[in-house]
Amino acid sequence: MPITRLSLFNRIWAIMMKDGICEFRTRYAVSALLMFALISLASISMAIGAARLPEDLTAALLWILLFFCAMAGLSRVFVQEQESGTILALQIYGSGQAVLFGKLLFNTFMLLTLTVLIIPLFIVFLNIEIYHWSIFLLVLILGDIGIAAASTVTAAMVAKTQGKHALFTVMTFPILLPQFLSSISTTAKILMNVKPDVSDIMFMAAYNVVLMIASSILFDYLWYD
Amino acid sequence: MRIVLSLWIMSVIYAVLYIVPPAEGLGNLVRIAFFHIPVAWVSVLAFLLSAGWSVQYLRTRDIQYDWKSSAAASLGLLFCLLATISGAIFAKLTWGAYWNWDPRQTSIFILLLIYGAYLVLRSSIQEEKDRAKVSAVYALLSFLTVPFLVFIIPRFYFSLHPEPVINSAGKLEMDMIMIYVLLAAVGACTALFWQCFSYMVQNKQKSF
Repeated sequence: MPITRLSLFNRIWAIMMKDGICEFRTRYAVSALLMFALISLASISMAIGAARLPEDLTAALLWILLFFCAMAGLSRVFVQEQESGTILALQIYGSGQAVLFGKLLFNTFMLLTLTVLIIPLFIVFLNIEIYHWSIFLLVLILGDIGIAAASTVTAAMVAKTQGKHALFTVMTFPILLPQFLSSISTTAKILMNVKPDVSDIMFMAAYNVVLMIASSILFDYLWYD
Repeated sequence: MRIVLSLWIMSVIYAVLYIVPPAEGLGNLVRIAFFHIPVAWVSVLAFLLSAGWSVQYLRTRDIQYDWKSSAAASLGLLFCLLATISGAIFAKLTWGAYWNWDPRQTSIFILLLIYGAYLVLRSSIQEEKDRAKVSAVYALLSFLTVPFLVFIIPRFYFSLHPEPVINSAGKLEMDMIMIYVLLAAVGACTALFWQCFSYMVQNKQKSF
């Protein structure tokens, strides 16, 4: 077999495609995430009935929903490798950075898919009006990237612990909190028909970049013994 | 050493109760501050030290640094809890509610969350080297959020918390006697922290 050296981009892509194919074969994470999102949304909607919620409360509910859905499924990228014993092979063949960013891309993709499915249902069930669609989509994308960036590195940390799933949420929340608070306040502005400031968007983007740089630096210590 | 420390703490308590004059506007409630400020200072110091030793551990992989980091973090959690409780009591007596998500309360609450998550993480990994590695990475990653919380949260809400002792103008707005007692209290608290810390680390070294 010829030895081929791939560029970093190709290696990241290979890891992502591998996860994508595994997911496509079992369809476990997608279906679990989707059902989880559906029951949470339905329970919110049933609980409030026909009452109209204030905009800031709706925004908070949307992000709490997205956060807990992410917590239900995103730890799988590393936990699955650990449980099936494939993590060792990945440690030998995949370089740390490629694994981190490949899994990060996969998680972002999963979360964006989930968001695309959730948002129409959310609008229908809670009867809300979105005024600035393009900014709303931008906020959703940035928020999803933030959740994926924080949870990918914590997923790698919890893979070796006992009681992985409860710990995953506990560990991700404090890291994500600055991003979480600004997503909620920006979404609330959009729902109230106020155009968010450029600085709100910039803060979210900057936090994502910082989170990715920090996880990229720290991940090598985690990945190699 | 221990006798000196206990004498020191007792004299600080005496000074706080009998020597410090009641403050304008706050009256006798100001005495809580002589407990609250040193404890809060120590919890931040412990957090810094814990992050510093985490860096040292990742660079050298010497297990001693991991013991230091975890001892500092568990003492930090204790002091952070004391600061939160004394702050909440002060808030009830002056603002009328124990808890109202004031920016300072939010940031100390997040500090509690981070410490709590760090210790739960430690307790859930059996293998010593894995535990040291993973918890060092987590301590550093969570340390990253602190500047963001300091800059972002005050933008959203306005704070009732009194200005820090040394405010932005750089001048001290306190009685001279209060400053001396406060400095002595901060010193006593830091020394107490250091005493407990070295006791914990020595215990670890003995059992190793």
